[in-house]
Amino acid sequence: MKNKLKYLTKISLNKKIKTKWFVIANVCLLLLIVGLVNADSIIKFFGGDFNKVTDILVIDNTNQTVYDDIETYYSEYSKYVEDMSKTEISLYEDTIDKAKEEVKEKDSILLVINEDENNFINAEIIVNKDVDPIISQLISTSLNTVKTNIALKHYNISESMLSTIDMPVTVEKTSLDESKSTDEMMDLVMGVAFPIMILPFFMLTMFLVQMIGAEINEEKTTRGMEIIISNVSPRVHFFSKLIASNLFVLIQGALLFIDVAIALIVRVFVGSGSLSNIAGDVDISSIIKSLSETGFMDNLIYIIPITLILMILTFIAYSLVAGILASMTTNMEDYQQVQTPIIIISLVGYYLSMMAAMFDGSIIIRILSYVPFISALLAPALLVLGQIGIIDILIALVILIGTIYILFKYGLRIYKVGILNYSSNGLWKKMFKAVKEK
Amino acid sequence: MLKVENVSKYYGTLKAVDNLSFEVNDGEIFGLLGLNGAGKTTTFRMIMCLIDDYTGNITLDGKKIDYTVTDKIGFLTEERSLLTKMTVIEQVKFYAVLKGMKEEEIEKKLDYWLDRFGVSEYKNKKIKELSKGNQQKIQFICAIIHEPKLLILDEPFSGLDPINVELFKSIILEFKEKGTSIIFSSHRMEHVELFCEKLVVLVKGKSVLSGYLRDIKEEYKKKNVIVCGNIDKKKIESLDGVINVLKEKDEYIIKIKDNSYVPKLFKEISKYDNITKFVVEDASLNEIFIEKVGEAYEK
Repeated sequence: MKNKLKYLTKISLNKKIKTKWFVIANVCLLLLIVGLVNADSIIKFFGGDFNKVTDILVIDNTNQTVYDDIETYYSEYSKYVEDMSKTEISLYEDTIDKAKEEVKEKDSILLVINEDENNFINAEIIVNKDVDPIISQLISTSLNTVKTNIALKHYNISESMLSTIDMPVTVEKTSLDESKSTDEMMDLVMGVAFPIMILPFFMLTMFLVQMIGAEINEEKTTRGMEIIISNVSPRVHFFSKLIASNLFVLIQGALLFIDVAIALIVRVFVGSGSLSNIAGDVDISSIIKSLSETGFMDNLIYIIPITLILMILTFIAYSLVAGILASMTTNMEDYQQVQTPIIIISLVGYYLSMMAAMFDGSIIIRILSYVPFISALLAPALLVLGQIGIIDILIALVILIGTIYILFKYGLRIYKVGILNYSSNGLWKKMFKAVKEK
Repeated sequence: MLKVENVSKYYGTLKAVDNLSFEVNDGEIFGLLGLNGAGKTTTFRMIMCLIDDYTGNITLDGKKIDYTVTDKIGFLTEERSLLTKMTVIEQVKFYAVLKGMKEEEIEKKLDYWLDRFGVSEYKNKKIKELSKGNQQKIQFICAIIHEPKLLILDEPFSGLDPINVELFKSIILEFKEKGTSIIFSSHRMEHVELFCEKLVVLVKGKSVLSGYLRDIKEEYKKKNVIVCGNIDKKKIESLDGVINVLKEKDEYIIKIKDNSYVPKLFKEISKYDNITKFVVEDASLNEIFIEKVGEAYEK
């Protein structure tokens, strides 16, 4: 029987993996992930006005000749956005009318700096159609800095005195509960990183549920089930489906992980060469630094294994339910209907884990984190946020293992009756009867 | 030898099989007959270990049927039980490995059987690409490749042309010669009559007729007299002992109550001067089946 279990598992797994569609789907996934991670490089590769340099023509009508200062500050500030907007600032020494003509012709920006009655500067920006908000912001910031410098001179304020005035009030945060995270970065992790991390889990759960349903129904509708079950017990058959489907999602999960690694390598060697700006304006290195300071990175040593264990056990629980439901249905259409509650439960877990940060201290959310099927999504999220502790995770684990045991014990009875049942008449009655019988 | 002893199976309050007993000796072909829903499939399922909550005993060579015994049984189901997305070689290997065969051994035997059935070119084709008849051949190969001790054939000729029916018949007889016990189920009584030495007829799960075919026919007293020539149908029908007279093409089939009425009928038929044929035959299994099943339903 052991050999037959191994063989059935191998056949079941090969049916999914040794197919051209598995290869095609994974190649598409790889391309998609590489594309997403390297989206900026790809967009630039296909060309566009990314190298267009916008001229900023400055007419300095002040007596203090502030152009040099403005040029210095603007050049300094624009370094940070040179990927997005390339500009060249220069002093325009001809008339304003000629400058306007150049603005029209070359789509340049004309900055006219004047002096008011208090010897402070004001400015006018003249553009042909519109001005890039980033450039506009850089010009404003540069002008403000110059104005501040003028003011410093005007009121005899030293730079050190100004920096003391500008310095923000120091606010220290102290949490008496050590497990409680206090860093704002955690919100960022929950808002951006966590949904990305749990999305594959959600996706794999759907694969798992679909795979078991499709296989069992194929064997039932073709009556191949009768031949199979005449040679192996329903228990062996059920086990083989569980093992094969869980191995499949683990392999698929590993492939997703490899896809991401390849995408990052491509980014380093072929793309922009930087991982730090992968999430747009989010500075990953500063997030990691902040998380390290809060002790979050140290906690990952147990958060990652616990999350993985919860996920694997949850996969097993989902596959058990999917197998039981598939055995009760007589065709794939019926199965599509009965699997809807599984998908909804999984979706609830997904959304709750994303919204977990919004319900700090909620008792119902804490209780829901113990509930099997959604605990794998919700409990790690709450643990990361510091809303629950390791004890709560252990409770969730124990409940999940108990659920798997009950599902296996009673589910097998249903499975045994269900896989050879081809009629939907009195289905629930038959299943309840099967559960009661030993 | 397969031995089914006092087997009963209930589905809720419905008695699907009622105290059924029969034996199939080695090298014997046994007919399991009945209308749809008579209990044949349930009986097959019990023999195949698909149902275990029944009363009574089922043994093969003295051993109670379990998963070690089912490896020795070949089962050809009435419906196609092939996994249509698999290729022929994958399908046969799949079922044969489940029967305990080694993959190398399967490949050798598969080539022989594919050649024998004239379907070698389909070895790497998917099952769903094959015609109904070729699918039936593959299903049959799956049932016999491990050379079973007991072979269950449920409507084996379904979807086959006459030439392939003959091929199937010859292979079934080869297995019989080799000593395989065969259970044969079909609604085509001429096939059952041709193959089966012994049979059981089920009505509502209960055996209404069982035993050796020759004994059954002997016990069934009604005979058919086949007459060729111009006779007065109404006059013959009015004779004592004549049940009815049917005309089929250029022959008359006169059904009589038993052999004792033959001399009197012969005397009457002799009066007609254009008679070219007068043959007394046993009733066909089909007639016996219809009558016995009909009687059981009336009860």
